[in-house]
Amino acid sequence: MNAPIIETKNLGVEFWVDGQWVMAATDINFSVSPGEVLAVVGESGSGKSTSAMSLLGLLPVNGRASGSVKLAGEELIGAEKKRLRQIRGEEIAVIFQEPMTALNPVYTIGFQISEALKVHYPKMTKAEAKERALSLLAMVELPDPEKAFNSYPHQLSGGQRQRAMIAQSLSCDPKLLIADEPTTALDVTVQAEILDLLRNLNQKLQSGVILITHDMGVVADLADRILVMKDGHSVEQGTADQIFNRPQHPYTQTLLASVPKLGRSARRFFEIPKDAKPVLSMENVSIVYPKRGKVAAFTAAKNVSFEIYQGEILGLVGESGSGKTTVGRAAIGLLPVSEGSIKLIGEEIAGATQKQLRGLRQRTGVVFQDPGSSLNPRLPIGESIGEPLLLAKKAEGEKLNQIVEDLLDSVELPRNYRNRYPHELSGGQRQRVGIARAISLNPDLLIADEPTSALDVSVQARFLDLLLDLQDKLKFACLFISHDLAVVDTLAHRIAVMQHGELVEIGDRDQILNNPQNEYTRKLISAVPVPDPQEQRQRREARAKSKL
Amino acid sequence: MLGFVVRRLAATLVVLLVASFLVYVLTAMSGDPLADLRSAGTRQALVQLASLEERLNLDVPPVLRYFLWLGGAAGCLIGRCDLGISIAQGEQPVIDALGAAMGSTLQLVTLATILSIIVGITIGMTTALRQYSGYDYTVTFFAFVFYSLPIFWVAVLLKEFGAIRFNQFLDDPVLSPLATILISLGLGLVVAGIVGGGLKTRVRVFGISLLLSLAILTLSSLTQWLKSPSLGIIGVILLTSGLAFLITILNRGLDDRKAVWTAVGMVAAVAALWYPMQFLFFFVNNPLGILAAVVILGVVGFVVGTFFGGDDKKEISRLGAIIGAASVLVLVLDQMLMRFEEYKAAISLKAGFISTIGAVTPALARSDDMWLRMLDSFGHLILPTIALMIVSVAGYTRYSRASLLEVLNQDYIRTARAKGLPERTVIMRHAFRNAMIPIATIITFDIAGLIGGAIITERVFAWQGMGALFNKGLQAVDVNLVMGFFIVTGAIAVIFNIVADVLYSALDPRIRVN
Amino acid sequence: MAKKPVSDETQSNREISIEQRETEGLSLGTIVRRRFFRHKAAVASLIVLFLIALLAFTSVGVVIGGSGKLVVNQETGRLIVDGLRIEGWWKYNWYENYPVLNSGGTPTLSLWPFQIGEHPFGQDTLGKDIFARVMRGIQQSLLVIALVGTIATLIGVIVGSVSGFFRGRLDSLLMRFTDVIIIIPTLVLGAVLGRTFGGNAVSLGILLGLIAWTGLARLVRAEFLSLREREFVDAARVAGASNARIIFRHILPNAIGVIVVNATLLMSAAILIETSLSYLGFGIVAPDISLGQIISEYNEAFKTRPWLFWYPGLFIVLIALAINFVGDGLRDAFDPRQRRLPRQGGAWQDLKKLIAERGQK
Repeated sequence: MNAPIIETKNLGVEFWVDGQWVMAATDINFSVSPGEVLAVVGESGSGKSTSAMSLLGLLPVNGRASGSVKLAGEELIGAEKKRLRQIRGEEIAVIFQEPMTALNPVYTIGFQISEALKVHYPKMTKAEAKERALSLLAMVELPDPEKAFNSYPHQLSGGQRQRAMIAQSLSCDPKLLIADEPTTALDVTVQAEILDLLRNLNQKLQSGVILITHDMGVVADLADRILVMKDGHSVEQGTADQIFNRPQHPYTQTLLASVPKLGRSARRFFEIPKDAKPVLSMENVSIVYPKRGKVAAFTAAKNVSFEIYQGEILGLVGESGSGKTTVGRAAIGLLPVSEGSIKLIGEEIAGATQKQLRGLRQRTGVVFQDPGSSLNPRLPIGESIGEPLLLAKKAEGEKLNQIVEDLLDSVELPRNYRNRYPHELSGGQRQRVGIARAISLNPDLLIADEPTSALDVSVQARFLDLLLDLQDKLKFACLFISHDLAVVDTLAHRIAVMQHGELVEIGDRDQILNNPQNEYTRKLISAVPVPDPQEQRQRREARAKSKL
Repeated sequence: MLGFVVRRLAATLVVLLVASFLVYVLTAMSGDPLADLRSAGTRQALVQLASLEERLNLDVPPVLRYFLWLGGAAGCLIGRCDLGISIAQGEQPVIDALGAAMGSTLQLVTLATILSIIVGITIGMTTALRQYSGYDYTVTFFAFVFYSLPIFWVAVLLKEFGAIRFNQFLDDPVLSPLATILISLGLGLVVAGIVGGGLKTRVRVFGISLLLSLAILTLSSLTQWLKSPSLGIIGVILLTSGLAFLITILNRGLDDRKAVWTAVGMVAAVAALWYPMQFLFFFVNNPLGILAAVVILGVVGFVVGTFFGGDDKKEISRLGAIIGAASVLVLVLDQMLMRFEEYKAAISLKAGFISTIGAVTPALARSDDMWLRMLDSFGHLILPTIALMIVSVAGYTRYSRASLLEVLNQDYIRTARAKGLPERTVIMRHAFRNAMIPIATIITFDIAGLIGGAIITERVFAWQGMGALFNKGLQAVDVNLVMGFFIVTGAIAVIFNIVADVLYSALDPRIRVN
Repeated sequence: MAKKPVSDETQSNREISIEQRETEGLSLGTIVRRRFFRHKAAVASLIVLFLIALLAFTSVGVVIGGSGKLVVNQETGRLIVDGLRIEGWWKYNWYENYPVLNSGGTPTLSLWPFQIGEHPFGQDTLGKDIFARVMRGIQQSLLVIALVGTIATLIGVIVGSVSGFFRGRLDSLLMRFTDVIIIIPTLVLGAVLGRTFGGNAVSLGILLGLIAWTGLARLVRAEFLSLREREFVDAARVAGASNARIIFRHILPNAIGVIVVNATLLMSAAILIETSLSYLGFGIVAPDISLGQIISEYNEAFKTRPWLFWYPGLFIVLIALAINFVGDGLRDAFDPRQRRLPRQGGAWQDLKKLIAERGQK
């Protein structure tokens, strides 16, 4: 066993909030050896990012770190600023989550990499720096390093930007690499590529890696050892095998249990009743965002056709920009249809007037994506839930209050939350309020647009359970839109896959998962990381083979 | 990029056209321009009345009359301007009245704008870097106070205290020992407050600035330097060194050997060229001389930078050129101060160097010596510029503080720090440029306010500039004169729009591309 | 288009959740009010403003209605103001001449020993009482501020929200119109309008209100553009809300911060523009009074009678400054991002440590 690169003892982080120090992480102990990947796992607010940033002395101005961090025996907490500066980038480098905002928009990629090189190797000439930068860009498998060198961040795609970010962090051959949610902002297929890249580089360069993530699939793919954090405490630490197969701490167990696993959920059948009419049917629907000033017209969806029947859940899966949200919004008339026909409960939506739409919308409900913005911050929860009822003139006054309280009951929220404001609720609670609002008019169709993408896994599991229960009880048709195949898998009867605005495949859940016909569907399924190290290894190897 | 600017320009011109229509009609409606003549009732007046009515097309309703005026104004595009005659200026063609008034106002507005941008951004960004410090709170407080000051009121105070009393002090510039100590203590505290840091740093900074200001104040009292200030070669070398030091520290940092050697080289070059430059300035006694000096020193700086630049030839030679061009400022100051005695002899005994009335000393307006005229304008510009700057500086301070704070919270700043870049590079290279992007747009808005401010400032300091024309024109319902004023301010607005656009796209590649 | 999962754990998120604990059970309005009252300078300014208004309106009384012109009372032969006059507690009024006392009308106010005297702010050459004049000037300037604040805020909010909500042609038309007003310097437009239609406080207030809304309109538009993309607006639409309901019930309440803060700043700008115009002679002109008009009237007297100049100016600065501080307090109260920093590593800490170490020895 090699001597560890980094070793922390009783590492703690605190923040100054409203006149007092508030603990963000405490008593964190870990070490990383060369070539080893340590995954720090936890849900939001667990203090995983902050503890990692404190290694570099990069806490925000109102933060402070305590305890001990030793980099190859050298103490970093309280080290001289100048020494810390030398260490940053040269010994410890960081890959951030959102490469769009983490790269400076006004400088080229090449400049930003050369800059990192020149600050640590003052003797290096420009030409040498450029040469080194180009070789780094080639190493992270960017197709045209010369072009990437001269590009500004906004000219690259998300995956390319993250590759550039990785190239920059590797520029000085750091001993330790901190990857802070390196793939969270990326699509699954891109995520798979970046994970492959990280693994290959790690094997090649033998640096230590601290991988910070909330995604157990990513952990299973990369980690040698795992540190599980909750509320600033480290609850469990062990090898990947130990944590995944023999978790000791109850929290770790629940965490693993909440992760939706592809192809593991109970089989759910749905028979289309004979001569039933679809609740929602789309026929060759195209949606074009018109030209706006200098921005050219953009076809977000073309030739989309599908049907949903009462009591059925259709999962609509696709990566960012695939047009899945567009389709969902068009289904309730929030976007004009350019071509084709959308029939909602037998009535045509394309070209319908506002008045007609209003009538139709009373029979639909929508759960939105972002718990932060889907509720009006100025209205108490009760009013948000009751608004559809009020506007449909279904209930008023005392009766409305009664219904709202019943709805709160049904989404398992205390009744007195009626008078609370959205900012007082957690993300999961807000999304449950979203469901309550959506089912308030007892709709025929519920559209759920990525309702869990901003939630932690344990919260997500609870939300999905609730949604399934309600659907079972109320029997509404449901269009469930998500980028996460595993989530769709847990609840959908049928799955539709979209790519570049086109519906590439639609079919039974089992057929899609086990016997996908379309090339893209296959790629998508194989790219989803599975929260099981052994299985993930097999999938990876299968994927590598199919590439050859 | 060019298309972008042209499109923006076209949009601005349309807006300007509509705005001019509005101003024309409203001004024309404000009264009867010939009311005095009408009431006079003499025969001669009646004749004049008839002739003026015809020349001013008063029989045409204002809405249509505007287009007559516009036809004449459109002639400016083909070099045949006809902006009508001004009745308030004794039937003088408006274009002539503008020609006489424009120079001083443009000088005033441009100088005030540039200075407020520099000062405001410097203060604003330094406060952002030292957020929630005593310095930050103090500046914020004063920004609010400045923001709340009526220009006309401040201007009168400035006249009394800034000019008259300071001029009296200049006549006998000896500070009492107590005053010297108090001023030095104050300066020391201020500098220590700005620099900040731990107790050790503060005490050191306080000590150094205290001793330095004590020495400078005592020296100037003893030598009576302020009575007839001059630089000479020693002053030039000292000031150039300071300037070069500042530019280098901001641009490359003192760790960069090549930059430091270039700066030292430039100071040496300026010292060596000081004597030859005297001949240049003597024989080419007009603005071309200054231009020639900028070119010469810029080229010298470029060469020096290239010599020391090594691998960073491009950046270092640019640094050299900037230092070279900037050092011309010192040389110009030197030239002006050489004529200080002559200037004091030329102006009346009662008036001091800091003038409170007018834009020029009439006796010197036709002097052959450009430097003397410059010194004169300088003395006249000081107070109105300060009055105009007060509000603008407060505004820019707030904007740039907010903007930099916003940028400092961005992820790429954290990335830059995580790369191990020194703090100076993080701020100057990564934060500053991004923080400048929103400020570039604000400058355009601000210019309208400055022109408005100039109307008041000119009134208080009795300048015969554009603002005075506007006042006079509006008072006399002289539509042509008011419109003349408006055309010029509109043109300034358009120019600054273009400048801001160019700046904007230079700063932000996301706009530049395609 | 779908977004990918948003960041799970960032620094700010964590802090918000910490702050959340404290704000449990409070509406946003209460939180804003609470934060505002923590801003000492703003609260002090609010009190100062109130006291100034109280002093100005009670001391010399008010005139309600009427033409506001000075007329001679047939019975007493004294000058009176046309309109319903409610007298105040101050013994002099602002339009009559009194015998000049105290060597040329020097102010009798002194702070130590404290005394008010006969004419605390002095008298002008004709013997008019400057205190009464300044008080009346404050009244009129406050009237202008209130008018400008109300009218400009109303127009700005309407134009901005219509532009931002409906977008399209109407938006570009309204915004071009806004550009037209912006490109004419406020002082120029104000002067031209004031010269044509103005003269007294009411008309000037209305005129300035009609031109001062542009900045607010732009800000409100920007706010609407961003708020209308939020999901709760879609949710309301799906719930069947009309455009009017969406604007008034859902978007406007969320834009209130921007509106309130900028309406305040607008008002502090209003007093400066009003006084400037009056100073130039294009705003409020005699016989009506404003703080700027007083300075304009006594402009030449600074050398001989500086007090004619001091007091009105002082009150302009005081009012503008107080409004600005209130605006700052509101901005802080509406901005959730503000946070105080720990004092660590500063000079004070070093000093304290030094003293503590001394004590141990």
